[in-house]
Amino acid sequence: MSPHTTSTPTSTRRRPSGSLRPRARTAVQSIPLPKDFTFDHWRETSPVEAYCDQVATAVEEIEPFPQTVPRRRAAKSFSSLRHPMDGLVALGRRLSVTLRHKSSKHNMRVSGEEENDDGRHYKVSGHGHKRNAASGSWDVRPQAWTMACSVNRRPSLHSVTALHDFYAPTAAVPAPIPGHGSEPPIIPNDKFFGAAARAAAAAQNEQMDLARQLARIEREKALDMRVTQDTESGIGIDLRDPSDSDTQLGVMRIDPATYLPSEIMTHILSYLDPASLLNSELVSNIWHRHASSPHVWKPVFRGAYPRRPASSTATKKKQPAGLGKNQPNQDWKRMFLVKRALEQRWKEGKAAAIYLHGHKDSVYCAQFDENKIITGSRDRTIRIWDAHYPWSCLKVIGPPPDEVPGIGQVNNPSQQATGKSPFLTICPPSTPLEGIVTPMDKSLDYHSASILCLRFDEEIMVTGSSDYTCIVWDIKNDYKPIRRLSGHRAGVLDVCFDDRYIISCSKDCTICVWDRNTGELLKTLVGHRGPVNAVQLRGDLVVSASGDGVVKLWNVTSGHCVREFPSKDRGLACVEFSDDGRTILTGGNDKTIYQFDANTGELVNALQGHTGLIRSLHLDSMGKRIVSGSYDMSVKVFDADSGELSIDLPGWTTSWMLNVQSDYRRIVATSQDSRAVIMDFGYGLDGIELLEE
Amino acid sequence: MSTITLTSSDGVDIAVERAVAERSVLIKNMLEDLGDSGEAIPIPNVNEAVLKKVIEWCDHHKNDPPSASDDDDNRRKTTDIDEWDQKFMQVDQEMLFEVILAANYLDIKALLDVGCKTVANMIKGKSPEEIRKTFNIQNDFTPEEEDQIRRENEWAEE
Repeated sequence: MSPHTTSTPTSTRRRPSGSLRPRARTAVQSIPLPKDFTFDHWRETSPVEAYCDQVATAVEEIEPFPQTVPRRRAAKSFSSLRHPMDGLVALGRRLSVTLRHKSSKHNMRVSGEEENDDGRHYKVSGHGHKRNAASGSWDVRPQAWTMACSVNRRPSLHSVTALHDFYAPTAAVPAPIPGHGSEPPIIPNDKFFGAAARAAAAAQNEQMDLARQLARIEREKALDMRVTQDTESGIGIDLRDPSDSDTQLGVMRIDPATYLPSEIMTHILSYLDPASLLNSELVSNIWHRHASSPHVWKPVFRGAYPRRPASSTATKKKQPAGLGKNQPNQDWKRMFLVKRALEQRWKEGKAAAIYLHGHKDSVYCAQFDENKIITGSRDRTIRIWDAHYPWSCLKVIGPPPDEVPGIGQVNNPSQQATGKSPFLTICPPSTPLEGIVTPMDKSLDYHSASILCLRFDEEIMVTGSSDYTCIVWDIKNDYKPIRRLSGHRAGVLDVCFDDRYIISCSKDCTICVWDRNTGELLKTLVGHRGPVNAVQLRGDLVVSASGDGVVKLWNVTSGHCVREFPSKDRGLACVEFSDDGRTILTGGNDKTIYQFDANTGELVNALQGHTGLIRSLHLDSMGKRIVSGSYDMSVKVFDADSGELSIDLPGWTTSWMLNVQSDYRRIVATSQDSRAVIMDFGYGLDGIELLEE
Repeated sequence: MSTITLTSSDGVDIAVERAVAERSVLIKNMLEDLGDSGEAIPIPNVNEAVLKKVIEWCDHHKNDPPSASDDDDNRRKTTDIDEWDQKFMQVDQEMLFEVILAANYLDIKALLDVGCKTVANMIKGKSPEEIRKTFNIQNDFTPEEEDQIRRENEWAEE
């Protein structure tokens, strides 16, 4: 009778205690293949099939509690049983253990414990590893021990905590019992069989550390007891002995990378964090193959660096977040490694300085994206620069060159006594003006005075000038002017816009709300008692900072001021509205960055560090960084969560910092010394371009 | 409340509430395509023990709302598992893997996710050696190979 057929009838029997018991059949029959084939397959993939040849090493490899394998002790118990030692020390050790178990279990049974589960009965014949046919099917396997560990008859394991199960399997564990003394027990089977019931518990590795500690304690106790234990029938004691390292061999441990199809392994690994995934690559060759796959790394990268949540109130142009393109076939693992190296650079404050020379006077304003940097200057020109090597000036918009006032050369920064200097300084040669200066014919418009502010998105750029006007430019059509917004009675100090509105603020103490598409002046927000230096827009809310020392929050629809945030006593130069509209940052003459809760008006934090007027602020909510530029000639980076100063970059230019903005890899700061500087934390990182969006 | 019968790979008939069985997209589609003839539906890939375990899960989750959108990017890759599921998954590795295989075969997405998360949690935060011990894996790298991967992964500038 084939072993398979003997096992089949067992499945129809009712199991009083639930579904977990017939573990052996689980392995064999759940795979829809001929059973013999299935088994062979199983064996082939078993990492421990070479057991018989490598007993001793197998013990070491599988042992989950490394400190619990004192060979000394094993030898002691071995010798106490006077077993012949034939060179296979470990096997002998196991044999001795098994015998001990057997004898105690045997006593237990004889003493009248009721066996109400047929699974616990089995007999060992003299020539084979054959259990009672009704109890399972592990006897079908030539390498029985590899399968025997899967024989696991445990009533409703999941209702017991893993740890409890581990240390108190007691009577629920079907103990090996030798066939009436005279017949030799089948060592490997019995050993693994007896231990299998502990499988799930030990497999629950949340318990691992605790178990380790307990094991140490238990082991010490057990060592004391062991001396007399062999002759006792104290089964509870014996089975609870976790110091018996050999029992750990029986804990069923299966390599999921060989047991499960690769798409499921991918699914599993995609839940990991990057550090765990990197460790997984080092487990084995097959794990390395799975764990380095882009199919795994993509979700792991996205999980570690989630994209910005869609927010209806985030209206300014999105800063690049360095999360890679949305396209197939990217090297996601490489992207992670680059991202990690970049973060390390930010932590260390290590950046290269790339100076953009060309403007002839103070650079008041700038904005950049992945491809271009646009700057506006007191020299009345707007310059567009390549954001990549060689950072050349691509275009100059403004009056003809001979009308542009010029100033002399400026010095490059020397080493700073404190703070971070550039690890590398690059001064690309000035681009010759031929070919990049727009041949402005007189019919086209440009500002007739300093460019004080600018913003762009994918379609338009809006600039504000000391000539009291704003100009809207068509980015998609070679920066041709679309229209001029006239209405302010003094210089336009700041500007911002979204899909509907263009908001400008002025030295004339007012804020103008314009229709983005028609240029019509919709509203004028009046209330500030000083020049309005900075303005931001989120949804229907406008926040403005004024030289009168007050931040005002306006509802753009009603035109009313809904909240005020006072600074201590002095004028405010800059304001920043978080993407989620909850936080307002402002700074100015009192050298402090104030962080307000936009909803409650509460002052949340006051960041100190600057020694001069804070001229410009940028909040990178993705990178959780607040970047500030000051008249103290430094750029500083604060942790947006803690408010701690994380990087101090003093003196990278030779005069006041007028504008700062940052993204995932760089800060672009503009200075009164007529230069813009790219503080590039990603400079020279191999593969940094993979992060571009 | 209609009841259907499933036959496990080892030939055991199990009666299941139809709504419970329909947590399995495979069974749901089968019932829709074939109609409920009253005949037992064979589940040739899943044995009795595993099938009962799977049904236990389906029964507990029969009133769950349909899962949210499956957009890979937006899906939060969290490994949080609710308490009942955690207890449910406290089984030995073989049963755990078999439940995962059954969930995959029967197309029970939420159960597959829970199973995979459980395994992921067994890997998380572990050193390679600890992972090997957890799953009884032989390190089959040569020292040079291991060193090479380590170097690649520790890659940083300079």
